[in-house]
Amino acid sequence: MTARTLRKRLGLLLFVTGYLVAVYWVFTRSQPVVEGDVTTIRIAHWQIELGPPDGIEAAIKRYEELNPKVRVKQVMVPGPVYRQWMRANFAGDNAPDIVEYGAWLDGLADLPVRYFEPLTEELLEPNAYNDGTALAGMPWQETFADELQEQRINSPEPGQYYAVTMTRGSLRLFCNLDLLEEITGSRVPPADWAEMRILFQQTAEYAAKEGRIVTPFAGSKDNAMWMMGFYMGGVMNTVGQQLDTDAMLGLYPRQSQWMYLKGAWHYQDPAVKAALALLKEINDQMRPGYMSLLRDEATRQFLRSESLFIFTGTWDATSLRRLAEFDVGVLRCPQPTQDDPVVGKYMLGHFSDGNNMTGFGFYLNKRSPHRKIAVDFLRFLTSYEGNKLFTDHSGWLPSIKTVPVAPEIASYISPDDGYAYGGPNISLGGGSRAIFESNLHHMVGPQGSVDKLAEALDEAMPAVTREALQVEQRAARWAMLPQDTRIVALANLTVQLAEPDAQALRRERLESAQNLSEGRALLLARQLEIVDQR
Amino acid sequence: MPRSYPVIGTLLLGFALAVTGGATEDSASLDSVWNFAANSQPIEARVALKKVDGVDERTRLLARAILDLARPPIAEGDWQKIEPVLAQLAQGDDEIAAQALYLHARMYQVHKSVPDYPRAEALYRELARRWPGSHWAQLGYVKLGLFKLFSVREPQDARVRLQQVGVLLAEIQEPSLRRDLQLQMGWAGLFYELPYDEVLPPLIAAEAVGGMMGITPEDLTTQIGELSFRAGRLEQAKYYFENFLEAYPSNTRRFNVSQRLTEVRAALAKSEAAP
Repeated sequence: MTARTLRKRLGLLLFVTGYLVAVYWVFTRSQPVVEGDVTTIRIAHWQIELGPPDGIEAAIKRYEELNPKVRVKQVMVPGPVYRQWMRANFAGDNAPDIVEYGAWLDGLADLPVRYFEPLTEELLEPNAYNDGTALAGMPWQETFADELQEQRINSPEPGQYYAVTMTRGSLRLFCNLDLLEEITGSRVPPADWAEMRILFQQTAEYAAKEGRIVTPFAGSKDNAMWMMGFYMGGVMNTVGQQLDTDAMLGLYPRQSQWMYLKGAWHYQDPAVKAALALLKEINDQMRPGYMSLLRDEATRQFLRSESLFIFTGTWDATSLRRLAEFDVGVLRCPQPTQDDPVVGKYMLGHFSDGNNMTGFGFYLNKRSPHRKIAVDFLRFLTSYEGNKLFTDHSGWLPSIKTVPVAPEIASYISPDDGYAYGGPNISLGGGSRAIFESNLHHMVGPQGSVDKLAEALDEAMPAVTREALQVEQRAARWAMLPQDTRIVALANLTVQLAEPDAQALRRERLESAQNLSEGRALLLARQLEIVDQR
Repeated sequence: MPRSYPVIGTLLLGFALAVTGGATEDSASLDSVWNFAANSQPIEARVALKKVDGVDERTRLLARAILDLARPPIAEGDWQKIEPVLAQLAQGDDEIAAQALYLHARMYQVHKSVPDYPRAEALYRELARRWPGSHWAQLGYVKLGLFKLFSVREPQDARVRLQQVGVLLAEIQEPSLRRDLQLQMGWAGLFYELPYDEVLPPLIAAEAVGGMMGITPEDLTTQIGELSFRAGRLEQAKYYFENFLEAYPSNTRRFNVSQRLTEVRAALAKSEAAP
């Protein structure tokens, strides 16, 4: 072999070896060669009304200025497809790092413990982005206006915090004040449900006289269900109080489900039927066929002055105010009183129309490859500065203490002046809302009646309610199972780390959370067993 | 072949070796394994465990077993793999053995698709016999108490059921574990519709320990106040309702509580005014 040939072969060998090593590198290592590259995280939500995306974007912009090596991408998913989108993306391991979720989303109760990571440890520490503000040094959790009450109630794992929240909200009746004046000669809204009934009549007369469509309430399935749920909840406080055998002065959905399944109440009970009669009045003041419409259509009816009111949450307030060409009044909902002929004898008193619990909760994807950055971004988003940017640009209430509330949105905050027992309602969790929706036709039209609806609900609800209780049971069980690993791991860390007290406290909390989940799972399992024996 | 090939090849190889050489897998510490496991990152923990050098076999086996338990449900094949390991580790006489025995009991109690409560109970009792007073024995008693409260069929009499759990409670010294079991005893008493006077003591005892997380302390304070009201212990009801309103300014049931407190105060005033 000549030196030339040898050189050729050696060169070829080196080239091939280099190539193979490069291939090995590409297929076995996902990290970039050069450290310090820009990291991109994604944050997904369904708040695509006017306002919130601007608020989030403003906070992102500032965060990226503070952290030039991070990019945050806002993923906006329309509400109607959000549930399917979530399930598909988590199942496919393609979900964003941070995801909005709500415990009230039907049929998703199993998601949190499977796919979200608790933030409890971080929330017990101060948020460094609050340094230099009045919130400096305060544990992150305590900086929220409600100290994350929603999480304390709805956490899939008792004792654990899974989310941080962005805003507060309440339910309001938004009024076309110009139209109100045209109809009644006054801009003063009704004070109670009796005055509402008078207004319903006046509106009908006005529409007939003007020869155009004007209904008291803008109608769509979404708005109708919110409104019916709100009013039914108000009337049901007395029943809720009677069903409160656990003496908690309120009922969680799992307790209402259990009481229904054990036969402690029925839709055919007189008090519940009275509430359904009130819902019929609401139904009759919306455009026929509203159940086939979505909330956007209700908004359009309101904006076209085809309805006097739209019942919705303050989450729609920015959109309504920016788009309406008339004065929009934001009213607390007129309520039936104790002398109301339909529901009066069942009214406990004035009921709550907004609990000021914070919401718009962001959860951390358990499988996020950028956990540290994602948590850091959440810290900024819910810091004084981040939340102020959000509220200033979105027109939504802030969730963080000391962040100023603009005068025009101050009325969204409800005073603490109403009962909130929970209990029987149009939805009992799980897929029960769909059952109500699909049976509502029994109450409407010339042949419809409250009796028919109540009977149909008592026929269809038990199965779906049992399913909902079972989901609660499974969620508690799923929350509890993986904790054995964490508890034993922490026990071993206690031995090896310099701060044994902190580790011991952490383990104690974890054990306590597991005991709570486990107790709940076992109690619910027992209840299900009893239901099945009936 | 151009003359530059050997040069390019050498450069490429040198670059690749430099890069891969720099990224040679670091050895991990056992702490990082426990840390990942404690933070719900079992996959990362498993990777770290592979890199740990110099760890004794028992520790490694325990770590593997707990990581296998981290992603429920456990398949039948995994059960066959994990169970004998825990049983074998439990034969020892060290902390690892106690932990393994505890986990062994947990497997029969909650990780098996159909729980085997008698087997779990036997293992918890063995744990208490071999390591009396240890944390694992006490935690085991809490778990045993939980399924005795809600899951087993006998005894039918709820009062006897709670008395049996009370015997377990007497073996537990750690305040936080006593609290957790007392809380469940109170809630079980409500579920079985025992008289308020029998339900209140364990709830009051649990509340006195404090340190609970989430919504539980708020619910519990309300509960004690309301149960006291229903039992006619008005002063006690007043005490807990007032505590609640002071301690939980953002609770959504404040209005309900404040209305009830008004009733309690009125009833107290009436009883004081009575001759």
